[in-house]
Amino acid sequence: MGYLEGFAVTFRKIAEGVTTRNYRAGRGGSSDQKAPKPERLHGRHVLNRYEDGMEKCIGCELCAGVCPANCIYVRGADNPPDDPKSPGERFGYVYEINYLRCIHCDLCVEACPTEAITETKLFEFSFTNRSDAIYTKDELLVDDDGLPQQLPWEDWRPGEDQHTSGWMRATSPGGKASYEGVVGWSGELGYGVREPEFGQSASDDPESDDGHDHDDHGHGGGHHR
Amino acid sequence: MTATEGTEAVTGVPFTLNGTDLEANEGELLIDAAERNGVHIPRFCYHNRMKPVGMCRMCLVEVDTGRGPALQPSCMLPVTPEMKVETESEATKEAQDGVLEFLLANHPLDCPVCDKGGECPLQDNAYAFGPGESRFVEEKRHYEKPIPISDLVHLDRERCILCDRCTRFASEVAGDPLIHFIGRGSHTEVNTFPEHPFSSYFSGNTVQICPVGALTAAPYRFKARPWDLEAVESTATVDASGARILVQSTRNELVRIIGVDSDAVNWSWLSDKERFSYEATNSDLRVTEPEVRDEGLTFRTVRWNEAAKTAVTALSAPPERVAVLGGARLTLESQYAWSKLIKGVVGTDNVDAQMGDGLPAALSLGLPRATIDEVCRPGGVIVLMAPDPKEELPTLYLRLRHAIVEDGATLVEITPRDTSLSDLAAVRLRCTPGTVGQVLAAIADERLDDTVGGVDGFQLRRARTILTGAKPVSVVYGRPNLAESGRYVADAVGGMQRIAPDATYLPALRRGNVNGALEMGLTPGFLPGGSRDKASFEEAWPTVPDFDGKETDGILKAAAAGEIDTLVLLGADPVDDYPDAELARQALEAVRTIIAVDCFRTASSSLAHVLLPAAMFGEVDGTFCNLEGRLSPIRAKVTAPGLARPDWMIAADLAAAIGPDLGFDSLEQLRSEMASTIEGFPEIDWEGELALADGPLIRLGRNWDLEFGQAASAPAPSSSGLRLVVDRKLWDQGTMVQRSPSLAGLVQSAELRLSPTDVQLLNLGDAQWVTVEHGDESFDLPFTVDAGVAARTAWLPMGLPGFDVRQLLATGRSVTNIEVRAAEEGDTDG
Repeated sequence: MGYLEGFAVTFRKIAEGVTTRNYRAGRGGSSDQKAPKPERLHGRHVLNRYEDGMEKCIGCELCAGVCPANCIYVRGADNPPDDPKSPGERFGYVYEINYLRCIHCDLCVEACPTEAITETKLFEFSFTNRSDAIYTKDELLVDDDGLPQQLPWEDWRPGEDQHTSGWMRATSPGGKASYEGVVGWSGELGYGVREPEFGQSASDDPESDDGHDHDDHGHGGGHHR
Repeated sequence: MTATEGTEAVTGVPFTLNGTDLEANEGELLIDAAERNGVHIPRFCYHNRMKPVGMCRMCLVEVDTGRGPALQPSCMLPVTPEMKVETESEATKEAQDGVLEFLLANHPLDCPVCDKGGECPLQDNAYAFGPGESRFVEEKRHYEKPIPISDLVHLDRERCILCDRCTRFASEVAGDPLIHFIGRGSHTEVNTFPEHPFSSYFSGNTVQICPVGALTAAPYRFKARPWDLEAVESTATVDASGARILVQSTRNELVRIIGVDSDAVNWSWLSDKERFSYEATNSDLRVTEPEVRDEGLTFRTVRWNEAAKTAVTALSAPPERVAVLGGARLTLESQYAWSKLIKGVVGTDNVDAQMGDGLPAALSLGLPRATIDEVCRPGGVIVLMAPDPKEELPTLYLRLRHAIVEDGATLVEITPRDTSLSDLAAVRLRCTPGTVGQVLAAIADERLDDTVGGVDGFQLRRARTILTGAKPVSVVYGRPNLAESGRYVADAVGGMQRIAPDATYLPALRRGNVNGALEMGLTPGFLPGGSRDKASFEEAWPTVPDFDGKETDGILKAAAAGEIDTLVLLGADPVDDYPDAELARQALEAVRTIIAVDCFRTASSSLAHVLLPAAMFGEVDGTFCNLEGRLSPIRAKVTAPGLARPDWMIAADLAAAIGPDLGFDSLEQLRSEMASTIEGFPEIDWEGELALADGPLIRLGRNWDLEFGQAASAPAPSSSGLRLVVDRKLWDQGTMVQRSPSLAGLVQSAELRLSPTDVQLLNLGDAQWVTVEHGDESFDLPFTVDAGVAARTAWLPMGLPGFDVRQLLATGRSVTNIEVRAAEEGDTDG
């Protein structure tokens, strides 16, 4: 009668109650809550704009060059002088990310010299065909309201487009502590660039001044002011 | 040349480099000696193909010549005995840090938008030798972002570090000093002169040697980043100089061509045509599918086998009624395959790769051939009996110019008009068209007192003194005038052989791989390897032609007379390219079937009945044979569009359908057949050790005695007529230029050039247009005064928009005379 011992485990566990979080990812239900996400979670990308509406992307292809999964395809082009898309001579003419390949490593974000590409917290998006998986500039670029196009299969919740991953950009190109806080990007294209981060010597205080709640992964390597 | 001469034996100047005892060559610069011994000294301004200037100070190293260590620029310092050099000392490092920090004080950090970013010497040196940070917090210097200094080159003065490379190249190497430093101190900038764009044929080289992104090429602008690029080493095929290049592509599209430093040929320089005409390969106008035309002017797309069937039916006409024009576009392997198909399977000898603007094949194949190095040897004598090399063989022009300006070569110019090298010539024999043979005969026979062909006795004596002196003579010969018969060039060569029997000859034929075509037998009377020995090919080939074929002139005349049933155009465009347009048009209309193997629909291939799409430059593997007879690799980088195929495959397919196949269906088999069939031909393997060298020269040992008869005399010009000089410009209406969008706009429209004397004699005064009378016809066209045109001649290049000079030319005429008068008021509207 050994099998009764097995059933005993089952019944005991039933009695303990449900520990699974009720997470239905947009499929409705009474308590459809997403779990709080770590601050450095890497999700779907967005292409940002400056405050004046110019695209930050200059089509430099550094993201494509650094991408270990080879999922980014970028081509630059001459900025039309009468209708410039981005400050400077060059803009991102083609920008595509293939989400069948992307591993959300965030190296593109680190490589980006203008903070054009950042990753949101959204990872709940699944598609049923290949062409849906390739996000182009239309899907990636934020609108005037600061939000990217929200596709039918994406489960956007408030806050997921906030505080994207651009904050972990490097401080000084040489990595010298005495150059902390100096914007690495040239002054000519500097408007709209976020304040630089502090480096190793900054206080180890994980508190951020934007009031965002840190979870327990709070301060790994980079530090956010 | 202080260039890298890596393999030469060192002839002892002992010096110490970072504690190691080494030897430098006599007079070798420290920067080169260190490089040769594996120590790279960073530099910006120094370029091994140009004179050092010591502008950038990046190559400062600590040198002790016995007076204690001091920082000295290694690019300005020849190695002296017992010199002690430290390239990694504290003082050197500090100097390098300082130089880079100063350079970056004003150099913008817009590397992500800069085309040079990722392959930039300033970036690389800043990473490898720089301090990593700058103490400058001040605003950088600002200029207007890129300003176009020509149609092909953009200049961003903010990025310029004033290394003087581009300006030195323009004035020293190209001889087009159109860009220069302007201003002083921190306001120094490179720029063009007002109203004078940097419209040099060599402007692309300044982009290649710019150590920062100050000069960028308009066609490549923002097309790709360096890490996108894949590259293969290949050879430029737009002209016959055979410049070695790196072909770069991204995503199966050619985007850039870089000159490779080949000691024997192009020294890393390229003309803009070689550099930018890759755009034609990317053109949307390519023929991508086989097409046939039954009636009317519309083509019908068909499958390969249907097109082949139609072609084969036409090729089965009696051999003497089949003719082939062209073949200079093809690789050497394809030329052999077509030669075998046409001569060995179809059995006709009516084949000519030259379009009536070349030289007798016997000359090119039979004369002792010079290499470019031999022509340009220091202290030699160069005879130029060719069209302006700057217009037709620009890479050769740079080598010739260097030899004359820097290496003390003496130039004897025997041309109907001034060329780009005339200012450098020791003697200029300005022969009236049709007289060059007589002028050289006069020099050979020492008839040096009377004026011959417009050349006076003084010039004849000077030329004779130079040509019969102790210095070795090499002759660059070609067709300097398409309005005179090609036989005058042969006469001139005959005279030259009597004057300087040991002279060597470099054929200045411009058309792509035309020298390869002659070697592979795409010319009447010859079989591959320049052989006339039909018996030796009877075994290897299914058949050999049993008659002597016609040259292009003869083929077109026969076709116009209805004696040709089938005409194959191997990339040839006689309607737009043959000097006698009327004859070409008549010929193509009279032929029953035209088979065109082409990449584009040209004026001629539009008349074809079967149009077979061929793969072109950048899409085919093969071999190039340049004007020296030097073989070099042509490599594929992108796939051919649609159903386009390499020409040798088309030949193999057609042969298989006709009868006995060609016996090869891979490039390797084709190459080994070439090596076994052609006596003295090397086994080609571009992946092996051949690829590392400058390429083997083919000298197929057939320096037969050429027979030169009495120099012909042209009819004396009439009292009022002018003799026409027709040649070509680099930018013309040819396919490669017109199908490259960046180059198409550079073509200038035709205008007649007259000498100041004639302008006065003809009372042209303030007129801007002249009426040219020729036979019964008259044409109005603009003219300019040109001191480079000889009196009693008029110069008008071929292939320019506005006026087609071919209306004045006719096949078989020895010279062309025109009458010129001022145009009447009212008919100068157009």
